[in-house]
Amino acid sequence: MSADGRGKAVLRRLASASAMERILISFAALVLATLIGAVIVLVSGRVATCQTAATTLFGVGFCYDPLDVYLVLFNGALGQPFLLDSPGLFNPDWNPLSFGLAFTLKETTLLIFTGLSVAVAFRAGLFNIGTQGQLVLGGLATALFAVFVAPLLPGGVVGGLILIPLAVLVGAVVGGLYGAIPGALKAYSDANEVITTIMLNFIAAGIAKVLVSEFFRNPDSQVIETAPIPDWGTILPIAFPKGSDFSILALGFGLALVVGVWYLLERTSLGYDLRTSGEQPEAAEYGGVDAKRTTVVSMFLSGALGGIGGAIWVLMVIGNWLTDVPSLGFDGITVSILAGNNPFGIVPAALLFGTLKSGSLAVQFQTGVPKQLVGVLRGLIILFVAMPEFFRMLGTRFTTTQGREAVATDGGEPLSGGDDE
Amino acid sequence: MDRRSFVKAAGVAGIAGLAGCTGGPSEGGEATTTEESGGEETTTTEQTTGGSDAAANIGMVYALGGLGDKSFNDAAKRGIEQAKTEFGITYEEAQPSASEEFPQFQRRFAQSTNPNYDLVSCIGFAQKSALKETAPNFPDQNFMLVDDELPELDNVASYLFREEQGSFQIGHLAGLLTTQEFAAGAAETTPDEKRVGFVGGVDAPLIRKFQAGFEAGVKHADEEITVDVAYSGSFSDSAKGKEIATSMYDKGADIIYHAAGATGLGVFQAASDNGKFAVGVDSDQSKTEPKYADVILASMVKRVETAVFTSVENVVDDDFNGGTSTTLGLEEDGVAAVYGDELGSEIPQDVKDKLETSRESIIAGDIEVPTTTE
Repeated sequence: MSADGRGKAVLRRLASASAMERILISFAALVLATLIGAVIVLVSGRVATCQTAATTLFGVGFCYDPLDVYLVLFNGALGQPFLLDSPGLFNPDWNPLSFGLAFTLKETTLLIFTGLSVAVAFRAGLFNIGTQGQLVLGGLATALFAVFVAPLLPGGVVGGLILIPLAVLVGAVVGGLYGAIPGALKAYSDANEVITTIMLNFIAAGIAKVLVSEFFRNPDSQVIETAPIPDWGTILPIAFPKGSDFSILALGFGLALVVGVWYLLERTSLGYDLRTSGEQPEAAEYGGVDAKRTTVVSMFLSGALGGIGGAIWVLMVIGNWLTDVPSLGFDGITVSILAGNNPFGIVPAALLFGTLKSGSLAVQFQTGVPKQLVGVLRGLIILFVAMPEFFRMLGTRFTTTQGREAVATDGGEPLSGGDDE
Repeated sequence: MDRRSFVKAAGVAGIAGLAGCTGGPSEGGEATTTEESGGEETTTTEQTTGGSDAAANIGMVYALGGLGDKSFNDAAKRGIEQAKTEFGITYEEAQPSASEEFPQFQRRFAQSTNPNYDLVSCIGFAQKSALKETAPNFPDQNFMLVDDELPELDNVASYLFREEQGSFQIGHLAGLLTTQEFAAGAAETTPDEKRVGFVGGVDAPLIRKFQAGFEAGVKHADEEITVDVAYSGSFSDSAKGKEIATSMYDKGADIIYHAAGATGLGVFQAASDNGKFAVGVDSDQSKTEPKYADVILASMVKRVETAVFTSVENVVDDDFNGGTSTTLGLEEDGVAAVYGDELGSEIPQDVKDKLETSRESIIAGDIEVPTTTE
């Protein structure tokens, strides 16, 4: 079998993998990435210099202990449920409502929104790389709205109940409109959405920066940021400690949106239009779907979800808007690929990202491993887990029509253009 | 060679190479240190003397540029290293990669009980809003903040610098030199063009202080000199710095002063390419960037290390000055214009004399240096 044929066979095998197989593949990838990461940690521990060995293998001392690194990574992300000095023992003081877990869930929550944003566009056959820009502008709109409307409201819980939903809505609308621009460009002048969304990311960052630094800047601050939103207007942590930047309410909202997006995609006629135009654009159009409208609507939805992500980031994490927006939108692309663009898959994928992000801070803090090396470990895990899904998506796109097995109606004859073309 | 034998050979070579590495722990492999995992011993890349018997234990949260910026953060690191040598303190460091990580690291240090941190140093004004939230939650934890102030918090000692004073000196130097024929190292001035440049990092009031002082200093030398000003919008974008500086040099500027952290490395590259002068900031950059020592005329050193060192000293002496702001200017030697390592000796003596005079007048209060631009 030629290399080309073998590659195609693998793609086809991946494309036909069952859900269980896909989960198994993901776990195998996780284990493999961990092993390779461990080797890298060992090698770097040999190259780096330190005074005491963190671990000793075969009579050779190493500066970093890979086992320790991974234990700290996952332990830190969960808020230290285990005592590492005596492995396997539960920490009696473990409090799940701690900062460590809050940080993990905070990242998870934000990535659910951006992951959903990318997934919705993907399902409609559009590659929205512009979630970051939609998030930036959505977040800015939310912050400005909250800052300017807050003085008109009574304050306290009542004020919060009015302000927060409205502010999120504003973020969603602005993000959605900004997402609809590349949608309209695609629908009415056939501009490739990959290129337009990438470009619009830069434009969004530029617009936001100019707006804030020239018009809405907090005069007391050294950094480019808006005035702070009053405390009652932010999403306060419930159960988790004050200042943990995470609220269970936001996570609940995210999970509700997951169900909502699933329902929209699978159970409504709009969702049906959207999916068919993603899978078979010609067939959809033949079936009476207004392709142009569907493109704009799906990009609006995608942008709105990105905008909500920005709104939650502003209201839950930062409490105002500043130029240093984390790259949640770009991570959302990987989250979505990891999840196979399935809304329910977004949750574990976002959780994996959140765990790695939070855990890598713990590693950086608790072990001597430099943050760049931790970044490598994170990248390895993400790359390994995402790649099978990525190739599976390629597989479903490029191999379904060609090279299928001979079936009875073909008279059992292999089709031309099979494996060894 | 077939695949198997290649893999085998690569494996053998890899293991041999690994074993032959010169790094690794210096005490050798026999020591069984595994039981220390999870404890404080593994947490250190620094050669600490152990947590409990140290004079103090300090947590460092650096600014976004991170260590290796040859400027601001590295200066802070020098301060803590100096304190380590003099007082035998130990320290841990964290390098946040985004603003939202500031509160995470501040809190981790404040929360930690093993070891317990006597002081958490927050380097850079960007940490102010994070610290404003973190510090009140840990009233027993001492913090220090560099480059901005939080005088309302009793457990935060703030350290500010009179950057405008040092920048005035740099401006004065640049103004005196751009009007005369001066060649040193790999660069020279164009005396017929009365033009100098300023490259800022993020457009913030703090960086405006550098600009204001610089402009005032230039005007002090000669009213007719044009000052080109540009902000790169980042402290870590050397490509942008190079782009801006190149266009300034093309327009006829012969000395560019940067207050832009790692972005300034691009300014030096442009100076080197164009055979013009540049002025460094924060550290003596003719020493931290020896590659460009032949174009670095001087540096406006801002002794962040003094602030870090002083705050540690106060903690060691049990004299933590929380709730106060310490301002370090020319008089306290918190800021100063230092001549380039290579070019300093070639600067004419009369220029140096004039600079000394203006320095004394600033300290005496005869020259009022503005802190804001018009």
